[in-house]
Amino acid sequence: MIEPITDFVSRFNTRISLDQRLILRKKNHYFLIDDNLKRSVRKGFFYAGTYLGKTKNGKFFPSFSLLRLIAEQDANQIAVDEKTEWLFICGRDVFKRGIKKVKGSKRKGDYTLVLNQQGECLGFGKILRDLNEKIKNGVTIQNISDIGDFLRREKKD
Amino acid sequence: MACEGPVKETALVFYWQPAYLRLMSDKKFFVSRYEKLGWKYRNVNLKQAIRINTMNSKEAEVVKRLQSHGIKLDKIPFLQSGYRVSWSEFSVGATSEYLMGLYSIQEAAAQIPVILFTELTDKTVLDACAAPGGKTVQLADLMQNTGAIIALDTKKQRLTALSNHLERCRVSNTIVYHMDARRSSRLNMKFDKILLDAPCSGNFATDKHWFRKRTINDVKRNAKLQKEILAESAKILKDNGEIVYATCSLEPEENEFNIDWAIKNLNLQIEKIDCYGEKAQTNIFGKQLDSSIENCRRIWPQKTQGFFVCKLIKCECK
Repeated sequence: MIEPITDFVSRFNTRISLDQRLILRKKNHYFLIDDNLKRSVRKGFFYAGTYLGKTKNGKFFPSFSLLRLIAEQDANQIAVDEKTEWLFICGRDVFKRGIKKVKGSKRKGDYTLVLNQQGECLGFGKILRDLNEKIKNGVTIQNISDIGDFLRREKKD
Repeated sequence: MACEGPVKETALVFYWQPAYLRLMSDKKFFVSRYEKLGWKYRNVNLKQAIRINTMNSKEAEVVKRLQSHGIKLDKIPFLQSGYRVSWSEFSVGATSEYLMGLYSIQEAAAQIPVILFTELTDKTVLDACAAPGGKTVQLADLMQNTGAIIALDTKKQRLTALSNHLERCRVSNTIVYHMDARRSSRLNMKFDKILLDAPCSGNFATDKHWFRKRTINDVKRNAKLQKEILAESAKILKDNGEIVYATCSLEPEENEFNIDWAIKNLNLQIEKIDCYGEKAQTNIFGKQLDSSIENCRRIWPQKTQGFFVCKLIKCECK
């Protein structure tokens, strides 16, 4: 049942341990609960515990809570400067010059978390060029999802 | 909590009048009621307020980070982690700290009801009318994500907003149901605490068209709905459990009159609270109410929007 989640997490070259007993699925949405909530949850719930993400057309769309869980592991991640942080949460891609630190994979095509200088997760993206490549600038990480999405959702509602 | 809108049929009775006359008469009617309650109507200009989510970060750190963006904050003296935004060059709803759930935008008076509960850690709490979720997140914050919150609301679209709010603020102890609070006994659960931030008529401080939109019939309709939710809440509350009842209405029918009815009919007692606001009155429009009503708090619009709040305890079954 949790394959879409574990497959997604593996793209960051890491793993998280999830107790299958505590994962709830509501249609295509996944939630992580604890034993206490498990006793209280009833049929027909709308949302429960920690939202992990959803599948749509065979693709997994992670929640920001799941990204934070991944960030706690030894996952691919980059830390960006303050200007790049702002641009990233506005939906923009990451330029090479905005990257301050790289941890884990630098390989083109891999997923990487994008963190700010405080180590807080802002979202994730796809590495477009090997991070070892000696270029002065240019787009390096393609923005796939960022926390600015909360504002976009508010506007949509 | 939702401010319930006017009903068309009710409104029709009033609509034969020219709009300007209707507006004048409705406003006059409500303002004269406020005067009878001892408050002189005046326009208010509310400053935006925020509440720091201490489960996600240290209060002082968040304040420092916001100040480094040039945002000026003033601590609200009667709240735990509430600040007024006295100046900001941009919307405080668009900072990365907001998007990471380090704080919520929540009107100052709306931060009062949740802090009236005693000892929330590990408790089972019902948030009967939860969307859009400002107080649900505040509950989770005070519970430090322990125990369980059951959050209900009747409108699906508002549940989506509530869910987004929970995700943004990293709340992990809440289960949300699409359910009318008047049917909450269907959950087959008993609660230690119930937050009843009831659907109400609202007040003019947060809605500049309030006087144009509202009639006394809206108030009566909402008062009836609130009584029904109170009755259901009393059924599913554990003995010695607490209900915090709150509305952002200034109308006694939705506040003092309802609570007077509740303590006479639902095996509930009012507990004295110590918070911002003034004592509620026990003689309103010539009607004598139970003397314990004075332990409720009425907040007139001034530094905050208008609010009414009280705490009820379920008496032990004999």
